[in-house]
Amino acid sequence: MFLTRSEYDRGVNTFSPEGRLFQVEYAIEAIKLGSTTVGIATPQGVVLGVEKRVQSPLLEASSIEKIVEIDRHLGCAMSGLTADARTMIDHARVTSQNHAFTYDEQIKVESVTQAVCDLALRFGESMDNEDAMMSRPFGVALLVAGIDELGPQLFHTDPSGTMMKYEAKAIGSGSEAAQAELQDKYHKQMSLLEAYKLTLSVLKQVMEEKLDQHNVQLAQVTLDGGFEILNETKLREVIDAM
Amino acid sequence: MAQQRSFNPYTENGGTILAIAGADFAVVAGDTRQTEGYSIQTRYAPKVFRLTDKAVLAVNGFAADGNMFVKKVKQRLEWYKHAHSKDMPLQSIARLIQTMLYAKRFFPYYVYNILGGIDEQGKGAVYSFDPVGSYERETCRAAGAAQSLVQPFLDNQIYFKNQTGEHPTHLPLPHVLQLVTDSFTGATERHIEVGDGLEMFVILARGRGSQELEGVAGIREVTTSDERERVFVINRDLKRD
Amino acid sequence: MDHFPTNWGRPRSEAVDLYNTYPLHNRPGPKADAFTEGVQRTQAPIVTGTSVLAFRFKDGIIMAADNLASYGSLARFKDVQRLIPVGAYTVIGGGGDMSDLQHINHLLEGLIIEELCEEDGHALGPAEIYEYLSQVLYARRSKMDPLWNSLLVGGFKDGKSFLGYVDLLGTTYTASTLATGYGSMIAQPLLRKYVEGREETLTEDEGKKIIEECMKVLFYRDARSINKYQIATITEKGISISESLSAHTEWSFAEKIRGYGAQTQ
Repeated sequence: MFLTRSEYDRGVNTFSPEGRLFQVEYAIEAIKLGSTTVGIATPQGVVLGVEKRVQSPLLEASSIEKIVEIDRHLGCAMSGLTADARTMIDHARVTSQNHAFTYDEQIKVESVTQAVCDLALRFGESMDNEDAMMSRPFGVALLVAGIDELGPQLFHTDPSGTMMKYEAKAIGSGSEAAQAELQDKYHKQMSLLEAYKLTLSVLKQVMEEKLDQHNVQLAQVTLDGGFEILNETKLREVIDAM
Repeated sequence: MAQQRSFNPYTENGGTILAIAGADFAVVAGDTRQTEGYSIQTRYAPKVFRLTDKAVLAVNGFAADGNMFVKKVKQRLEWYKHAHSKDMPLQSIARLIQTMLYAKRFFPYYVYNILGGIDEQGKGAVYSFDPVGSYERETCRAAGAAQSLVQPFLDNQIYFKNQTGEHPTHLPLPHVLQLVTDSFTGATERHIEVGDGLEMFVILARGRGSQELEGVAGIREVTTSDERERVFVINRDLKRD
Repeated sequence: MDHFPTNWGRPRSEAVDLYNTYPLHNRPGPKADAFTEGVQRTQAPIVTGTSVLAFRFKDGIIMAADNLASYGSLARFKDVQRLIPVGAYTVIGGGGDMSDLQHINHLLEGLIIEELCEEDGHALGPAEIYEYLSQVLYARRSKMDPLWNSLLVGGFKDGKSFLGYVDLLGTTYTASTLATGYGSMIAQPLLRKYVEGREETLTEDEGKKIIEECMKVLFYRDARSINKYQIATITEKGISISESLSAHTEWSFAEKIRGYGAQTQ
């Protein structure tokens, strides 16, 4: 008879009889506990929004960093064990700078996302004379937003190292409901402002607390402005417009 | 300390190369003679290579380094194409050449490179490099054994230096080809390391007609893809003495 | 010994184990780059071969080299074959250091054996051998530790002739007539005069006459040569290397010389 599933948890990169890598799947589960994050691609640019999830009124909300810049034309938002994303972001930044240095051009959004995904399955035990690997998979999913010669693009990466291009995507705890809402309301010719409003309305639905400028963060990537996290003033404007 | 006989990993193989950028075309040429000292090693050794339908690279100096360098550049172009699903733009090839050359800053490729082709805006472009990667975009450049004979001629005929009066901003293709041919026949007369044959590559921008090339003796097309830039090769004889 | 219990019983790489006391000579030493080691590692060729000649003719390639391996000015080994068949389609002619040539032969033998074992319907021809040797020689020169040779690679495969030169610097070139060493000064002008333009019509016999003429002049003028040489021909029929031949030479003029050496009027 087949042994029970728990027997195959021990080898980190051992397949189960059903052909599953449990550590990777468990990592994906971990993301479902993370704060909700939304990304929407429009012809004018890409919009990212995150629920900050401020656990305490004494917490300095401005110190929560869930949306970061990778390069002038690229940024990303994360959900899950956000500390795990630090090496991934650093790798993305270095890859992007290396590319610009070597080729005198901006790296493609897909290429930098692929570079990050290449890190995903480098976990397990390493041999003596090999470079040490991570002990476990990354517990974070990213929404990479950027603009290149193919226009505005949004990519989703997860601990399995899979990358997928989306027109609109939600990840994290409220992602199921959020994704349904996006599918309903999204259309290809959205303006940037419409995308902001949709992002906020989706976040509002899944957030427990009342949405205000302190517990959400918005960012955009456009051709002219590059990557930009909305400051307090702009954020308030968009929230009021909603 | 006794005199120790040392192995010199470099030698000079003579020859000259030249490239000129037009409004919507580029010409990259080189003679085909390869020498060492006073000997002619061969009368036909190509120094100009097609990288893509937009870019042609001419290499001159130490032939073994030159040939190896071209191979490595071609390999990087292929890897880039697989990684990024597009051809490398000309300015990126130029920058790549710089980083590849500088990587061997402390045991250089003894090669003077000239890269010619069509830029992303559809205009003719020429980039020239020193052996350790210093580079610059220019309208025309000659390198190699007869550089000192050819470059001043080009400065006068292309930049119109030391000439007064009206002159055109853009030179037509047949005129440029004539300048190239005259540069090499002149260099062949007065430089022993130049001669035997001339190989010219002409790169035309997308959509630019090729009527001016019709009927040119010894021309053949080497374009690999459709609906894009086009590349032609013209072979000529040079004096063999 | 390895002090870390988690490493016991596991596969271990000898090369990186710093606690390893056996074998002593394998302990990794301080790594130095080619430049700091440069002075000690530069070479000079010791036992050397002189010119190799080759050219295209109607049916394929003809190549020749004498049977001498010199030890400086001493004509040390007078029965050396410097024309080496490689596989069924190629002959290498080697000048320069003979021990390096033997090493190259060893590498090529290994290559051919690997190819044979592959049994994939492909066989290495002269173009592949040439490319392989160019890469090997260039790589060695780039490590400042050259194989001190000038090689001609000639062959015939799939209806096409091949003839190329590669040397200790990794310099390569092809032409319808080639020669190494003194041959490039003395024989090449003769080859270019007799062969250029006639590659498609020259017969094997005509080719052999041209070789004999060149080997004769080389014996007269190259002080590190002997009048004993072999000719290799490679055609669609395969490789054929002759037994040792001699060119006819005239030395009777020497008695009539006045003013040099012992005879003074």
